[in-house]
Amino acid sequence: MRKTWLIIKREYLTGVRTKAFIITTILLPALGAGFFALILFLVNKQPSRTFRLAIVDEAGEMASSISRGLQGKLPDGQPEFTIVQSIELPSAVESVEEDLRDQINSGKLDAYLVVPQDLKQPVELHTRNSGNFSLLGPLSTAVNRAMILKRLNARGIHVDESEISGAANLQLIKVGKTGESVERGQTIGVAIALVILLYVSLVAYGILTMRSVLEEKTTRTMEVLVSSVRPFELLAGKIIGVAGMAFTQLLIWGGCLALLLGYGAVMSVSVGSGSPLSSIRIPGSLVIYAVIFFLGGYFLYSAMFAAIGSACSSEQDAQQLQWLAMAPLVFTMCIYSLILTDPSSRVSMILSEIPFFAPVLMPLRLSLQSPPFWQIGLAIALLFLTTIGAIYASGKIYRVGVLMYGKRPTLPELVRWLRYS
Amino acid sequence: MDAIALENVTKSYDGVTAVDGVSLQVREGAILGLLGPNGAGKTSTIRMVMNILVPDEGSIRVFGQLVSDETRESIGYLPEERGLYPRMKVLNVIVFLAALRGLSEAEAEKRAREWLARFELSDWADKKVQDLSKGMQQKIQFICAVLHKPRIVILDEPFSGLDPVNAATVKDTMLEMRNQGSTIVLSTHRMEQVEKLCDSICLIDKGHNVLAGELRAIKESYGKNTVHIEFTGPDSFLSLPSIASVDRFAAGAEAKLKPGADTQEILKAAMQAGARINRFELLEPSLNDIFIEKTGHA
Repeated sequence: MRKTWLIIKREYLTGVRTKAFIITTILLPALGAGFFALILFLVNKQPSRTFRLAIVDEAGEMASSISRGLQGKLPDGQPEFTIVQSIELPSAVESVEEDLRDQINSGKLDAYLVVPQDLKQPVELHTRNSGNFSLLGPLSTAVNRAMILKRLNARGIHVDESEISGAANLQLIKVGKTGESVERGQTIGVAIALVILLYVSLVAYGILTMRSVLEEKTTRTMEVLVSSVRPFELLAGKIIGVAGMAFTQLLIWGGCLALLLGYGAVMSVSVGSGSPLSSIRIPGSLVIYAVIFFLGGYFLYSAMFAAIGSACSSEQDAQQLQWLAMAPLVFTMCIYSLILTDPSSRVSMILSEIPFFAPVLMPLRLSLQSPPFWQIGLAIALLFLTTIGAIYASGKIYRVGVLMYGKRPTLPELVRWLRYS
Repeated sequence: MDAIALENVTKSYDGVTAVDGVSLQVREGAILGLLGPNGAGKTSTIRMVMNILVPDEGSIRVFGQLVSDETRESIGYLPEERGLYPRMKVLNVIVFLAALRGLSEAEAEKRAREWLARFELSDWADKKVQDLSKGMQQKIQFICAVLHKPRIVILDEPFSGLDPVNAATVKDTMLEMRNQGSTIVLSTHRMEQVEKLCDSICLIDKGHNVLAGELRAIKESYGKNTVHIEFTGPDSFLSLPSIASVDRFAAGAEAKLKPGADTQEILKAAMQAGARINRFELLEPSLNDIFIEKTGHA
């Protein structure tokens, strides 16, 4: 135990003092916060100027009705839309559209709307920037409203226009064991962030463990070490030492995030509006489960990475073999959207029970809904049993591998090493 | 009691027998030279003594106890495949390795500073290992092997990479440790070092122990069968039937005699041939000769 502790201490202390560790610890959250700020900035700034629209109304009475429905304001107080031109019942549609297209191409106009004579036909929005979905909402609402009014008028029913409101305000409420919360996309946001965080951490710290083993081989420190430490103690110390580094880094980041969220909550209270940050609530149970699954996954994968490191004699060899440990993780990233769309389906359930995928997929399910407890328990049990098996197998490969130099072993050779006494 | 005793030790990997029935005793307080060509099984033998490998058959005892993780605490080991963490500070590496061998960190640091001073490396204690020259790193590794004052020290090629001055320092240190009662196993290819340092030798070839014993006794058993002649003039006398082989050099030759050869006849033949004799000496065979004879190759 004393020796394992010495190995852990050395691994941890030399690890956290490296430039790479310090730089990633500081720079990654800074980059993340920067990106986040940039996205918020872009989202808030998007409709920064008034949208210039022309309406070609082949049905009649629609243009003025639609423009009355487009009274939205931009954050700076300017109107969201301005109707540059409004042509009711044009005599020559083709030439009118020709002219409007010219105006769009010369930049005088952003789009024109064509309302067909037969209102059952689609209404067309002609624009140069067809990716601007954020304006489709208010536009279609205005068109719908104008159509309803026109039909009501046709039946002789006259209503106050203001009675027909805009879009119904549909609010998603997430039902969970702990109660209900208003959903504005923050659950998906947290879920995807969790998947990415778990995936990146498992790969990054796994490879760190592999590198650390490899360093002892390439610098020939290994034989000096195994002459006084059992290979298994060395392996255990290394994995725990790197885990210590991982938790140090994650704690620092988690602390920063908590501060940021706390700040967001304070801000929203003082400002009084529902800022997207203030609505993010990460339940404590999710954090605990995520830590449990991360730990299990980390030990599982870093044992595999360490075995690969011990079997190789150079970085190049290791890079060729590391796919063995990477493959299940990469596969996880390919299929996680299946769970995102339907976390309670049978496929989601089975995938999240498989030990190699569980470290990422079970926390993902947990963030989306509350799976039955037996499923969580089973996943944890399977994961830790597999992890123990993997550490045992890695220990065997490690014991043989650390003293082997020369060509990269093949897969059958690695399997044969498992059988050495 | 023997410091190390191997009995009929066998080890094979994937059907290749690396060590085949080797028996060997190392007397306490002696320096043993472990010799043998590359791939003879020396490193495998040492690794088994260090409990890094487990023998397939036979037993290994250290001070009478079967090899275990405890017995190796009393052994200092400088492997041939050696290195240090390049990005750690010199003092930290030494203390770390000594702590793994059971020393307290405070004691390890105190001794490390003494040894660094002795090897004129005090100024380098807080430098990173990668900033040191190869020879300096070699000395650090030697310090790491002996810092915990082990009763047995196993040194695999301790002189490789050392200049003559540093090699002499290491050699003197080894003799000093021997005089203080340590047992030393020296594995090397450099015969002249073995002849100067070792009390006994063990020669391994193709996994077998082909020769073992006190160096003195082994040499005496070969008798004085070599003639060292320095001369000028014709050398036709070197083809006498009583001469087994000849090693020529600038000032003369070394001739190995067949059993029962008369050295006087050789001297007479040389004078008759008209050679001018500057030196004529009867010698024991060199360790190098014994090595070549026993293994069939250098």
